[in-house]
Amino acid sequence: MLTQLHNVEQSLNQVILGKSSQIRLALCCLLAEGHLLLEDLPGMGKTTLAHALANSLGLSYRRVQFTSDLLPGDLVGMNIYDTRSQQFRFQAGPVFSQVLLADEINRASPKTQSALLEAMEEKQVSVDGETRALPTPFFVIATQNPLFHAGTSALPESQLDRFMFRLSLGFPDHQTEHQLLQRDSSTSRLELLTEQLNTEQLRALQQQVPKVAASDALIDYLLALVNSSRHRSDMLPLSPRASKAILRAAKAFALINQRDYVTAADVQQVFPYVAEHRLAPSSDAQESRLSQLLLLQTPCPI
Amino acid sequence: MLTQQMLQQKKLLLCWAVIQFSLLLLLQQAFAGWVIAIFALLLLYRLLSVFQAKAPVSLKLVNLLAGIIAITFFLQLRQAGVLHFMLQILLLAATARLLALRHLYEARQLVWVHYFLIACCFILHQDMLIALLIFLVFAANLYSHYRLFSPSVHQVNWPQTGRSLLIILPLWLVMFLLFPRLPPFWQIPNANIASTGLSDTLDPGSIEQLVQDDSLAFRVEFDGALPPRQQLYWRARLYEDFDGRRWQVTTLRQNANRQRAANDAAASKDSSLSYRIIAEASQQTGLFALATPVTSSSNVFISPGGLLSSSKPVSQRLSYQVSGSLIPVMLVSEQEQLLNLRTAPGNPQTRQFAYQLKQQYPQNHALVQALAEHFRQQAFYYSLTPPPLGSNSIDAFLFDSRTGFCSHYASASAVILRHAGIAARVVGGYQGGNWHPQQGYLAVRQREAHAWVEYLDNGVWQPFDPTAAVAPERILNSLDSALPEDQRALLDPGWRQLALLQNVRQQLMHLDYYWSVWVLGFNENSQQQLWRNLYRHLPAIAYAVAALFSIIIVVLLYYRLTRSSTDNTPEATKQLYRYLGKVLASKPPSLSVSAFLLQYASHYPAHNVCLKQLIALYELALYKEDVVALKQLKQYLQCHKAELGRLRRAIKNT
Repeated sequence: MLTQLHNVEQSLNQVILGKSSQIRLALCCLLAEGHLLLEDLPGMGKTTLAHALANSLGLSYRRVQFTSDLLPGDLVGMNIYDTRSQQFRFQAGPVFSQVLLADEINRASPKTQSALLEAMEEKQVSVDGETRALPTPFFVIATQNPLFHAGTSALPESQLDRFMFRLSLGFPDHQTEHQLLQRDSSTSRLELLTEQLNTEQLRALQQQVPKVAASDALIDYLLALVNSSRHRSDMLPLSPRASKAILRAAKAFALINQRDYVTAADVQQVFPYVAEHRLAPSSDAQESRLSQLLLLQTPCPI
Repeated sequence: MLTQQMLQQKKLLLCWAVIQFSLLLLLQQAFAGWVIAIFALLLLYRLLSVFQAKAPVSLKLVNLLAGIIAITFFLQLRQAGVLHFMLQILLLAATARLLALRHLYEARQLVWVHYFLIACCFILHQDMLIALLIFLVFAANLYSHYRLFSPSVHQVNWPQTGRSLLIILPLWLVMFLLFPRLPPFWQIPNANIASTGLSDTLDPGSIEQLVQDDSLAFRVEFDGALPPRQQLYWRARLYEDFDGRRWQVTTLRQNANRQRAANDAAASKDSSLSYRIIAEASQQTGLFALATPVTSSSNVFISPGGLLSSSKPVSQRLSYQVSGSLIPVMLVSEQEQLLNLRTAPGNPQTRQFAYQLKQQYPQNHALVQALAEHFRQQAFYYSLTPPPLGSNSIDAFLFDSRTGFCSHYASASAVILRHAGIAARVVGGYQGGNWHPQQGYLAVRQREAHAWVEYLDNGVWQPFDPTAAVAPERILNSLDSALPEDQRALLDPGWRQLALLQNVRQQLMHLDYYWSVWVLGFNENSQQQLWRNLYRHLPAIAYAVAALFSIIIVVLLYYRLTRSSTDNTPEATKQLYRYLGKVLASKPPSLSVSAFLLQYASHYPAHNVCLKQLIALYELALYKEDVVALKQLKQYLQCHKAELGRLRRAIKNT
C-alpha cells in the first residue's frame, strides 16, 4: 500500500511542480485524518492541489467558494419539499463529499464557518433534527487569503486548531515556473491523473497511523517541546489537543517515510506546520518564527 | 595567513611586552643600568609599533642589534659572572624575538623562554611579595600561552581553568614536598647592593640613623621559654679599636672570622638555651647570637669572640640553629685583653675622672657600679638628637651636653673603663625585640639596634649597659617608651602611625614569617625528616589512603546509583555517548543525535557506511525500543571502536 501512496505522491508532483515537501505534508495530513488550511494568494495552485489529491485517490471532490452571503444550509444541504412525492427530500450540500475545498473560508459569516468546523470535528451533520454521517474519508482543504482582509471574518483561535496543518504553497522558483509555462496545460494533466489508491486502501493506511511506534524518550521530547510554549507571554500555549495532533502528524509522517517508528526528526519536521497557527493565529504561514524558536530552545537529548 | 593574523593580535603582543618588562625589573640585579635602558627602549618601541599597527622590525636590524649587545655582554662576562651572563643572553634573545616575531612557532618558543626566565627570578628573589609578583607574571604568560593555542576562544573559560588548577594542585604539593633538593649548579654572584644593619665602624650617630629604619633584621624562635627581656642582648659586632672619635672592628678579628673557634671547653658548659634565627638579607657576613653560643648549624661559624658569622655575605634569608647559654663570654687570649686596654689621646677630663674612680673603687665590679650610679644620679639625658660634640667628644658629652644615645653612653663608658685600667670594648647589636605570642617568634627590627659595653672581670667579659642606667625603659620596654614625646615622631613618619596600615604591615610580616619557615625553610633536612616521619607512620598512612579511596569509591557509587535512578536517558543514547561522547559534545542542543551524526556521514565518506549503520541501529533501538537492535548497537560500537576513534580524530583535526 505504501508503494501506491508513493505513486500518488509522484503523480501529484507531476501536476504541482516543485512543491514536493508541501505535497508530502498534505498527504501526511490526510493520513492523520486531519484537515488542511492553506494560506496563499489566489492562483498559487491550491485548487489544483485539492483536485489532484481527490483524483489520484479516487475520492469525490467538491469546491465551495465562501462568500459573505453563504448560509449554513448552502453548505450542509436542506430538506426540500418534493411536490411529486409530496415529501421532504434531503438535498445534500457540498459538504457531503470526500474532499471538500472551502475556498476563502474567511469570507463567510462566522455562522457558516462554525457549521463547517462542526462538520469537520463531528464528521456528521444534523439537519432538522436528523443526523447524517459524512462520507469517509472526509478531508477538508480550506484556503485563506493572507492579504485583502477587508470584509472578512477571521477564524477564531478556538476554531483554527480544528485544522491539523496549516501550509503555504508559496511561489514556485524560476526554473519551476519556466517549466510550468512551457508545457501545454495543467488541467489536461489533472484529468490524466488516474486513481492510484482506492478508498479502502487509504482507509487501511489511515488505520495504520496510530500503530506507528513512539518511544517514551520521544514522547518526553515532544512534551518538552510543547511545554516550552506554556507559561510565556509571547505566544499562545499549546493545548493537549495540539500535542496529540503533533504526535499523530509525526506518526503519519513516519509512515510516509516508510518507517514504523517516529523519530525526533519527524517531530521536528511537522512541528512548525502543526504548531505555528496555534501559537500565533494571525501570523504568516510562510515564516514559522515562533515554532522555529521553540525548536531551537528545546534541547533534544536523544 | 592565519598565523600572521594571530600574531597581529595586539593583546598578545602587549601581554608579552609587559611580561618582558616585568622580567627586566625582576632580574635587574643581573643587568647594568645602560642595558636596562636599552631593553626598555626596545620594548617601548615594540609597544608603540603595536599601537600604530606597524610591521615587525626587519630581521637584519634585530640580528645586528642583538649581536652587538651579546658581544658587550660577553666582554663583561668576567665582571658579571656566568649566571648573570646566561640571564642576560636569555632575556636578550626573548626581546629580540619579540621585536621580529613572524611565525607561530616563534611565538611558542618565546612563551617557553618566558617560563624559564620566570623560574630564574626565584634565584634572585625569595621574598613573599615578590614571589606573588612573579606568580602574576607567570599567570600572564600562561594566559598568553592559552591565547596562542586557542585564538578563536574569546573568553577564558574560568570554571574549566579553576578545575584544572585544582587538579594540578596535589601534584604541585607532592612535587614541592618530595622532589629532591639539588645543590645549585652555579655560584650565585653577590649582589652589588648596599649592606644593611650595623657597620664595622661605630660613629656617634650611626645607631641613631639605624633605629629610624623600621625594617626587620632577624626573627627568633625559641625552643624553650622566652628569656627575660633584659637578657636579650643580641651580639653582632665587637668594636675594639678607638681612635678618639669612632670605634672600629679590629682588623685582627676581621681576619680571624674565617677560622672556626675551638669550643671544646665551652661545649662542656651548659647549653640550656636553644633557638633558631632567621636572618634577613644584609649583604654582610655578621650574624647574631645571645651571650655565649656553643654550637650552631653547619652554615654558620662561631668566632673566638663568641660572635657568629656566615661564610659569605648573607644575600638571601638565612636560617640557622644556635644552642648556647646566657653566661657571659670567656676571655680567649692575653692578646685580647691587651687589645682592649689601649687608649686614645685626648679627652683629658675623662682621663681625670677615670683616675678618680679607680682610686675610689679598686674593684672592677664596684667601679662599674659607681659609673652606673653616676649616670643615674647626674642629669644625663637619653635622646635621639644629641647636640654636636667637639673634638674631645667624650669630654664634651660627659661634662657638657650630657645628652646622648646608646652609642654615646657605651663609647664614653668604654673609654672611662680603659683609662681606669680595665679592659673594655663596645658591643654592637640589638636589644630586645617584638614578641608575637600567637605566631611564636620574636621579631627584631633595625630599630632595636643598640650598643653596650663589655668589661673584663676575672677572665670573663661582663656586659654592662650604661643606657639601662639612664633610660631603663629602653631595656624593659622599647625605644619608643624611652624617648621623649617629641622625638617619637622621628621614629615613626606620619603614615606609619596609622593604626590600620600598622596592622596590615604586622599581618604581612607574620605571613612572611610563615612563608620563610614553611616554604623557604623547607630544605633537605626537613625533607629527610618528612620521609622519616612518613616511613614511621607507614601503616597509618596506608590505612588513611585506603580509607580515602574507599570513601571516594562509595561516594562515586552512590552518585552513580542516584543518578541512574533519576536520569532517564535511554540506554541506546547512553551507549552512543560512551563511544562518541567527545564528538557529540559539539552537537547543537536542539539537533537530534541521529541528525547530527548524519551530517558527519556526508562529510566523511570514509566513515559513511559505518555511521549510516550506526544511525539505523540507534534509531531502531531508541525509537522502536527494539531490544535486539540495542544489543546489535552495543556489539557494533564495540567492533568499530577503532574506526570511531579515527573518526573522532578526523573531526578533531578539521
